[in-house]
Formats: sequence, C-alpha cells, structure tokens
Amino acid sequence: MEKVHTTCIYCGCGCGLILHVEDGRVMGASPSPLHPMSRGRLCIKGWLAGEFVNHPDRLRHPLVRDGERFVRATWEEALSFTAASLKAIGQEFGADGVGVLTSAKGTNEENYLLMKLARAGLKTNNVDHVARLCHAPTVAALSYAFGSGAMTDSISSLARSDAILIVGSNTTEQHPLVASYILQARANGAKLIVVDPRKTQLAKLADLHLRPRPGTDIAWINALLHVIIRESLHDKEFIDARTDGFEAVRQAVSSCTPDWAGAISGIEKGDLEKAARIFGSAEKGAVVYAMGITQHTVGTDNVQALANLVLATGNIGREGTGLCPLRGHQNVQGACDMGALPDLYCGYQKVQLSRQRFEQAWGTELPDRPGLTALEMLSAAEEGKLRGLFIVGENPMMSYPDSGRVRKALDCLEFLAVCDIFPTETTELADVILPAASFAEKDGTFTSTERRIQRIRRALDPPGEARPEIEIASDLLQRLGVPADYASAAEVMEEISTLSAQYGGVHYDRLGVNGLQWPCPSRNHPGTGTLHAESFPIGRARFRAVEHREPHEMADGEYPLTLSTGRSLYHFHTGTMTRRTSLLDREVPTPVVDISPEDAKLLQIRGGQTVIVETRRGSIRLEARVTDSMPKGNIFVPIHFCEAPANALTAQTLDPQSKIPEYKVSAARIRRA
Amino acid sequence: MRAFLPGDRLKSLLTALGTHMDVVAPQLVEGAVVFASWKGQEIALQENSLLPPLEFLLPQRDVLFRYTQDSGRYSFVEPSAKFRLIFGIRSCDLCAVAALDKIFGSAPADHPYFDKRRSTVLVALNCTRPGENCFCSSSGSGPECQDLFDLLLTEIRDGYLAETGSPAGIMILKEHPDLFLDAQESHLAEKRDVLRNANSALPVREERSAANVRVAMEKADWDALGLQCLNCGSCTFVCPVCHCFSIFDAGVPDGERLRCRDTCLLSGFSRMAGGANPRISQGERLHNWYLDKFEYIPQKTGLAGCVGCGRCSRVCLAQMDRWSLEVGR
Repeated sequence: MEKVHTTCIYCGCGCGLILHVEDGRVMGASPSPLHPMSRGRLCIKGWLAGEFVNHPDRLRHPLVRDGERFVRATWEEALSFTAASLKAIGQEFGADGVGVLTSAKGTNEENYLLMKLARAGLKTNNVDHVARLCHAPTVAALSYAFGSGAMTDSISSLARSDAILIVGSNTTEQHPLVASYILQARANGAKLIVVDPRKTQLAKLADLHLRPRPGTDIAWINALLHVIIRESLHDKEFIDARTDGFEAVRQAVSSCTPDWAGAISGIEKGDLEKAARIFGSAEKGAVVYAMGITQHTVGTDNVQALANLVLATGNIGREGTGLCPLRGHQNVQGACDMGALPDLYCGYQKVQLSRQRFEQAWGTELPDRPGLTALEMLSAAEEGKLRGLFIVGENPMMSYPDSGRVRKALDCLEFLAVCDIFPTETTELADVILPAASFAEKDGTFTSTERRIQRIRRALDPPGEARPEIEIASDLLQRLGVPADYASAAEVMEEISTLSAQYGGVHYDRLGVNGLQWPCPSRNHPGTGTLHAESFPIGRARFRAVEHREPHEMADGEYPLTLSTGRSLYHFHTGTMTRRTSLLDREVPTPVVDISPEDAKLLQIRGGQTVIVETRRGSIRLEARVTDSMPKGNIFVPIHFCEAPANALTAQTLDPQSKIPEYKVSAARIRRA
Repeated sequence: MRAFLPGDRLKSLLTALGTHMDVVAPQLVEGAVVFASWKGQEIALQENSLLPPLEFLLPQRDVLFRYTQDSGRYSFVEPSAKFRLIFGIRSCDLCAVAALDKIFGSAPADHPYFDKRRSTVLVALNCTRPGENCFCSSSGSGPECQDLFDLLLTEIRDGYLAETGSPAGIMILKEHPDLFLDAQESHLAEKRDVLRNANSALPVREERSAANVRVAMEKADWDALGLQCLNCGSCTFVCPVCHCFSIFDAGVPDGERLRCRDTCLLSGFSRMAGGANPRISQGERLHNWYLDKFEYIPQKTGLAGCVGCGRCSRVCLAQMDRWSLEVGR
C-alpha cells in the first residue's frame, strides 16, 4: 500500500490529505499530521474522500450522442467533433456565440488552460464558473473595498480573535476545520456572535444569536455600525490613516437606528446593541461569512456592508482580525485567481486593460469586450445568441437556479460538450461527453479559501480512457491553432507565474506540505498569511455607503413562506461524489424540508410526512422535518438531491453588480402530498 | 531466541524479507510518519503514526468478494489475503491487536479479519520514544511489548536487540544468519536502560487511567459534550481498538461487496430501517463510544478497550478533553 500526500477535494478549507492506494485503487484516506491548517485533523467527508474515485459509475470512455442514446467514441473523434463544432458556431454566429464554463473542482492549471482555451482558442471572453453562484459578490465588493477579493487572514489566526461575528455560515457543517478554530477561540474566551435565521450548532454555542428575516442583512449591519459610531467604538486613527469615504457611510448609517433595523430584520434592539458593543470593543474582531451573505440580489452590497464594519473598527491587517469569506469548493478561489471570469484574466487583470500583455504572451489576438457571466450565457442561449457551450466539471442542471429554465436554455444549444467524472443531469443533455480524471488521478494545485496554493498528486491511473482536463484543454487548444505543448502541470504553473503577480513565486519545487499563500510575487517570497498589514493593494481602503433593499420576492398571501436553500454536513453540492460514498449516503439518504413547529402545526404537517414545496418556478416532493432550528415563516431545502432538486424552486433574479442569483430567498408554499 | 541486528543491516533485512512478502514499515510522507509498503525509503522510527497499522488487518475499505452475473446466475470470487510483514508496530497497537483477536474471534469468527491476521507477520518495536499525548504506562499497555509479536526489536546503541515471540520470528532469524549477530549480555542491559528511560519519559497520567475515566463518565454532561462534537468520527478512525464496519455492495449487476470502516458517532450507524434511533443525540453516541471502551470491551474480553495511544485527543476536531470530559467554554 502506497501513501500519497494530496489535498482534500471537498470544501475550501484545503486540508492536507493522505490517500492510501493499493493495486490501483484508493483504499482509504487519512489526515496529514503536519499540515499547517488541518494539523492531522479531518471532517467526516475528508476521511471518506477517496471512496468515489473507484465507483463503478465513473465515466470511462468518450461518448457521442446518437439520437436518444450515447455511443462510445475515440478521443480523436470526440475532440475533433468538439473543436470543429465550437469553431463552426464561432464562424457562423461570431466568436461570442460560444462559451466555456470551467470548474471550481478542477486544478489551477486546468482552469488556466480552459480560460486560455476560451480566450485564445475560441476568441471569446464568455468564460465563467461556479464562483458566479457563490462568491462573485465577494470578488466584486472586496476588490473595490480592499483591492483584493479574498479572505484577509489565515484560518488558524481565527483562534486568536477576541470576537468573531459569524454571518450566513453554518460553519460546523460547511467548513468544519474553520469551525474548529472558531471553537478554539471560544475556548480561549472569545465572544461569538452568530447571525443566522436558523439555529445552527454554532448558534447554540454562541454568546449571542441574532435571527434576522432572510434578506435584511444590510439593515442590521448598518445598525451595528450606527451603534459603534454612536458609542465612539470606531477606530478613528485607522479610518484616518488608511481609508477613504468614511464620512459618507457615517451619514448613511446615522438613520439606521437599532429600532429601525429591528423593525425590518426582526432582531431585538437590545441584541443589536449588545452585538455592536461586543464587536466594537474587541481588540481583535473577525467576521466570517458565506452564502447567507452573498446569495442575494444585494450580495455585493451585503459584502460591502461587512467590509465597512471591519474597516470602521480597524479590524483588518492583523492576526485574528479581518473579513473571512469561506469558499465552498476546494478550488473556487483558484478558479477565480486563474481568471475563469468573463472580465478578468488570471491575477484579476482586467480584460480591457491587460489584453495586450496576454496577446503578447500567448502570441495571438484576443477579444476585447468582457464576456457573459454564467447565467447570462444561459439567457443568451435561450435567446439564440449563444449556440455552443463547453461545460467542464459543473452540473448546472442541478446547481443553477430555476432548473426548468436551465433545461430550456441547454436544450436551445446547437452543441453542448460536457467533461465530468460521473454521468450527471447535465451530461444527459450533452452532444459529447468527455471522461475526466479525478483529483486522485492527476497532478496540479488547488488554492484554498485562505489563499494557500497546494499540490494534488497523481496516486493512480484514471479509469478506462479518462484523461486529466489539462490534456483535454491542451489538445483542444492545439486543434484551435494555439500552441499548447505542456509536458506537465508544473510547466503550466510556470506560465501562470509569469502572468500573474500573486503567483509570481509559485513553483512546484516550493510547494511542500505548507504550500504557499498568495500573494507570493517572487521565488524568495515566503507567501502572505495576513493581507493588508501595511497597506491595501489600492493604497487606501474604500468605504461605500449601502442601503437596505428588499429581496426580489417576498412571502405573500399566495406563497406565505420564505424558502432558503443550502447544504448538509454529509453531502457536497449536487451529490455526484458524496451520494456515491457509502457512509455519507447512509447518513443523509433522502432530501428533507425543514419547517418550524409553528408552521407545521398550522399546516397540519407531521415530521416524516411527504409534502410538496412549491414556488412560482416549480415544485418538489420530499419529506418534512419539523425542527425548532427553523424560525416561523421559513423553510429550508438542501441542494444535493436530484429526486427533489431545490433549484426547481429558486429564481434567476440576479444581483445587478455581481450577477449572483438569489438562492437564499424565494416565496414558497408547502402542503401535504 | 535473541540476536543483535546492527543498525546498518536493517534495510538489508527488510529488502530480503520484501522478496517474498509485502513489507510495511513506518516512513515519512511530507514529514509525517505513516505505515506504507516499504520500497527502500528511510525508515522513520521517531514517533508512532497517526493512523495505527491496524489498517492492514481491518482496512478502511476491504473487498470481501467480487460478484459477476451471467445469465441470471451469480459467481463469487474472494480475494486472497496478501502475505505481509508489519515492521515497527508498537506495544499500544499490539495490545489493540490482542483485543481485536478476541472480539473478532468470538463465535462466529470473522474470516476476513483472520485471513489477514494469519498472513501477517508482526515485527514489533519497543517504544523508546513515546509521543506527547501517550499514556500507555497509565493504561498498562506499554511502552514494552509483552506478547503477540513474532519478532520484537528494541532500538539500542548501534542497532537492535531482536527477540523472537513465535516460530515465524525464529524463522526470520534463522533465514538471515548473515545479518544477525549473537546477542550479548550488554545488549540486554542496554535494553533495560532504554525502557527505563522511556518509562520515565512517559508522563504519569493517573487521570487517564480507566478507573478515573469511568468516574469522569459518571459526572459528564453528555448533552453539552455532544453539542461541541463536530461529528467528524476521527476518534473512531484513529482508535486502534475501534473496529466497527458496515457492508455495502458497489456495482450492478457485477461488482464488489465492500466492508467499510464505520463510526458509531454517526447517527446513521444506529438508525433502524424504520427511522427510529436508540441513540438519537450526539451526546448519547459519544457516551456509547466511552461505554464501549471502558465498560463493554473490558467486560467481554478482559482486555482494555483503551490502549493509551492518545490519538483521539490529537485528532479531535472539537478539541474536547477526552479524559476529564469537562465541558470547555
């Protein structure tokens, strides 16, 4: 039995993992004792992380659609068909008639090459990935506020905080290793404030649990700032020395009294004041947030409101402070860093400003207009403007909002190629299916939520003829006339490091168990744990006043409940991996809708009963679970289950700034089946 | 039988043994000690591994048999156990093997376990460098190996004192006369010295003795502990005595029947088909884990259910005090 050091494939924590390999199979996994963040610990998903790799359902051969069925094809046939189809559509309808969706489950090198494939190969900036559905508001808001859209400190530094505000993050379930550091801080005496409509495990352990009505975050965050300023708890010295725009925010929040915010959000005035005093008087305060903040039509403003809070209290640039967006996928940070975004190249270089640099580097002309975001691509497909799509390691049929509309859009396409490790709801609609190598079967790097660039290593061969996406992307690039003769993933990283300042000093020979935290601009640079210690990349940080706006769809007489969607500890996203992992599938085998005891009584629903949840988009049928973790008027549906897809219910209403859809608020109703 | 193995001949011995079996030895992966197949790597004896070598007797995932369907009839093939030698297993983990032998040996005997057990040679190592979480001397399971080994090595100056514990161990000495030298009285004296030093290096942790943990269990607030538990199952996966498993079939119509390591800290472990669960809260499940270690296993086997390796403290995601069972803030 061999043991191979790699990085966990699930959430953004980026834990060190050792895979146990014997006779070409993954026999188990265990934690990496010396990993700087996980330190020999793992969550239950991590312990079971190798199991899906050898699942019999793995895609083994390229498949090409023949009417209603798929037939086995050679790689040559599948790739030449893919390249020719995308090229033909580009020639007929213009280059922007095609698009590429890359994968936050892929490596940095793969995302870089797929981004290059879209831009240099297909001549379109229509390239995006799942960050659009999770932390696009973080990238947008924090790039404006700080000049860098990433977690500002290391995960382990949370243990040294005095006060931690946890907003819209079920941390013990979604990021267990981050939760372990939050609990360590708590054991050291730190105060925890959890803001979440649901009574999560962390909420039960917190000093203060505030339960806002979903979609009212700006109101209560502004009220916290109001109290902090009113009681002179803000850090005037820091504000003067390192920020701009405080005055406008001070004026804007002057009317945001706790009474006013209480009326909107339903949080008691006294609790808001208490929270403001705890956070405002902390020597080292940190804010941890996730999808509960971003997945709103005001997602970008929500993040800015939190940025205003940490700036006003001077809680940034020091250990134990900062703003901590928790990334959901193990490499969603990296996919953003690699420029799998329609308006940015790798290193967050704007398409409009840096085109020449990339034209020179890649020796080809590049498109000048920013492309479409993920959901805009689907809308364009519905309108017939986008005709060809290459989806790599994503399952939009399950993960994008309003699956009925997603289906319609994908059906409108002339050509759809999907590259994945398992058959999914999306591969079913494809014209070409390309089998990919899993994380255990390839080399590359992942970048975790704390900006730690770490290696994954090939521990065994891919099943059948499956190939790493790096080879697939290189092959397609060459077929589209762009030289792409990469001998290894390390070689791709060498190219990335010349084009992206943050990764300038990242070379495979430097990536040991500690990895490197970006920015790491040069070979001798040790990497950066805490961002913005001396200055911000934009010089001075920027406040921006934000106002409360109601969600796109409010509960009403017809649909009286507010539906939120999210994850469970035991499953990951669309369940392609975790539902093929025996213990995880056994732990949570079926979907349930969580409903409060009050609502259940009113609607005469008992726990375990089958119910139908409906919104204006669609309906699903699943079991009800009556739990006091839900506040009255709210229901919660997990996103992992194809038999009751939560996204049949959600809408494609977007945040105008970051184009993220509002997953967290939909008006819904529920009835007995 | 005793012999002395000069330190520079250890690799030659393992190479020779490796010609006819899979030699598993502690080695470094990214700086950490792990047990893995040895192919000439540096041998790492500085500390015990985080995952006990029991994984070779009760793997995280084990194929019980493969099934193939042909014209409606199934045929089955059982894989045969590999002939394997585990080098460097320590006294705590050996005590765990003793407990597992009794548990899996009670009728009906567990054949997949004993197939592996019988084809595994155990070359043990007296633990002269205990880790900071270790308390084997307080739980009576170390640092000196008592029995169950085929061959026992003690690291002394310039090499290892080898003592046989079974015919398989004697065969190792006899088959490699060119590598072993005669043991001297001085070697034995040295062994006594290093073990005395190891014993005094081990902190006396009375609070971790089984009797004291049982007292702590009586007083523990299991609901509060359950609320802090992060359901990772790590304590069960690293415990050398934990042995629970579940059985799953992978593949239709052809496939494999797998036995996977399971953990009693998951609610699905004790949930009945109809949905009822005798251990409904995380606190109850945690309590059960302790009862198993400190009540049931000692009652059933007469052996300790906790061997004092300290691994569960090290991996606990909630950083619970596993021994005092006091609820931290």
